[in-house]
Amino acid sequence: MRAIWDNIKGLYSLLVGMKITIVFLFSPRKTVHYPRKVVERENVENYRGPLELTRGKKDPAKTPCISCQLCVKACPGNCITVVKGKEGKAPSLWTYDFSYCCLCGACVETCPTGALAFSHRVYMVAKSREELLLDLLADLDDRVKKSPQLEAKTDAKSDAKSEAKTDSKADAKAGAPAKKDGEEPSPA
Amino acid sequence: MASSNFNFINPFTFLNVQDSPGTYVGDFYTDNFEKGARAGNVILNLGPQHPSTHGVLRVLVELFGEYVLRSEPVLGYLHRMQEKMGEVKTPYQYLPNMGRVDYLNPIAWNWAFAGAVERLAGLEVPEKAEWLRVVSAELNRISSHLLWWGAFVMDLGGVTPILYAFEEREKINDILQIVTGSRLTYNYFRFGGVGQDADGRFVDLIKDFVPYMRERLKMYKALVTENIIFRRRLEGIGPMGEDICRRYGATGPIMRAAGVMCDTRRLYPYGIYDRFDYDIPTGPTDDCMGRYLVRLEEIKESLRILEQAVRDIPGGPHIVAKAPKPAYKLPAGESYFTVEGARGQVACHIISDGGKTPYRIKLRAPGFSNLSLFAEAAKGTLLADAIAILGSLDLVIPEVDR
Repeated sequence: MRAIWDNIKGLYSLLVGMKITIVFLFSPRKTVHYPRKVVERENVENYRGPLELTRGKKDPAKTPCISCQLCVKACPGNCITVVKGKEGKAPSLWTYDFSYCCLCGACVETCPTGALAFSHRVYMVAKSREELLLDLLADLDDRVKKSPQLEAKTDAKSDAKSEAKTDSKADAKAGAPAKKDGEEPSPA
Repeated sequence: MASSNFNFINPFTFLNVQDSPGTYVGDFYTDNFEKGARAGNVILNLGPQHPSTHGVLRVLVELFGEYVLRSEPVLGYLHRMQEKMGEVKTPYQYLPNMGRVDYLNPIAWNWAFAGAVERLAGLEVPEKAEWLRVVSAELNRISSHLLWWGAFVMDLGGVTPILYAFEEREKINDILQIVTGSRLTYNYFRFGGVGQDADGRFVDLIKDFVPYMRERLKMYKALVTENIIFRRRLEGIGPMGEDICRRYGATGPIMRAAGVMCDTRRLYPYGIYDRFDYDIPTGPTDDCMGRYLVRLEEIKESLRILEQAVRDIPGGPHIVAKAPKPAYKLPAGESYFTVEGARGQVACHIISDGGKTPYRIKLRAPGFSNLSLFAEAAKGTLLADAIAILGSLDLVIPEVDR
């Protein structure tokens, strides 16, 4: 008698589980289908993407980097190379191997002039190792060309804002196969 | 040919093949099993790529029919020299490694190493940093238990619950990303504080999360815990009493399921845990079901701590004024710091001779001790039950191998 009762209770528990599964089957989707939709900018505001050089306060087209090599020494993965230029303290070469980077933030915290920051590139894709060797000075030039003047006080926030705008555009063009392979969807 | 070779480990296995041609195949580890032809017994390699071994754990089992006669876990497939790496990097540079030792519960490892360094250097941690540490550690404990919950049910044949668990995990990841900047291998702690201060959004999301998670736990109970198939797979399987736990040094939920109040947060208090009111759940039974229930209870207790924490947030800086820089040298001496991770007692022992890098770093991984129980507990069980026991241990192989 006890065994029969146990089995009836067991069958009921299976029905309860089935009911939950069916409710979830017809509930709205929680995942974001990446190429057609991207996550909200708010969600990646503090995200640590690959490093980028910030813009100087006096001259927004130049980096405040003084080639002091402190970030090179602090880095646990030895992924930073900074070569000092001939004129002044500005670097002539600033490369960064993202494949070795563990995004620990030692360089960002050591930098005496605040020349380094984490970008918020969530959708970065590379097809080979060479593509992960990033030239940050060229990247800075690209950003300067895009918007010569600084928009807000700090760089990271202005970037997040401008990217948010382009993202909403990308959302509007959902499904359009205009994006190249290996390029993040945010650039306008 | 029947000579037993139980205790003798011969690295040159190929020599043995010549001894007994045609009857012996295997490698270094199969040498621990009896050689030669067998009547009904089969030696089976479970792993290193078996999905129920969670990563790259290899378990050699000798089967008679479906019964496990002997089993032997083989480690080392994910050995990454974590301890050696601590000897070649400065403490500050070694810190991001701690998130990689146990990728499911990095905050506890962060805390163990940062705590050991702070104890050796005599650094005071500000109140706000302690608060952030407790909150992030409890959030991380919940997310670790959630992934275990999904993976454990998947081991037993229920594939969908892990997707429910991931929904909550994503919410926790969103919360932790605000302060840590990453979603998996958090590198949040610094010597003398934490990396980043919390903002209002962090607190708001936690306030939303706590009642949401409680609702979901009710759903978990109805969906999985009360499921008759699930219960019959777990009840009475793999009993691990206090005796076997003590012999192998098991800690965490396994020890607590055996009825022992063993929690580092109470036994060796650290941080500001003494301010919060929470219970240490000890299991009703010492079988797989007991370990399952203890972990679900722990999620509830962590939610209680979070609820109390967001009520009263201390002010002040999140890191000490003169925090150590990357080139920071440890003073000569020794220190040991232990915290409660999701899997048990996590500890870090640093020996420094005053040089640029520490002389030796020893990491105590709870998973290693918990895994060593397995051979004894799985003896004489069915193979499917052995998988349940393995799942109930909550193994993370990078942590076991270090």
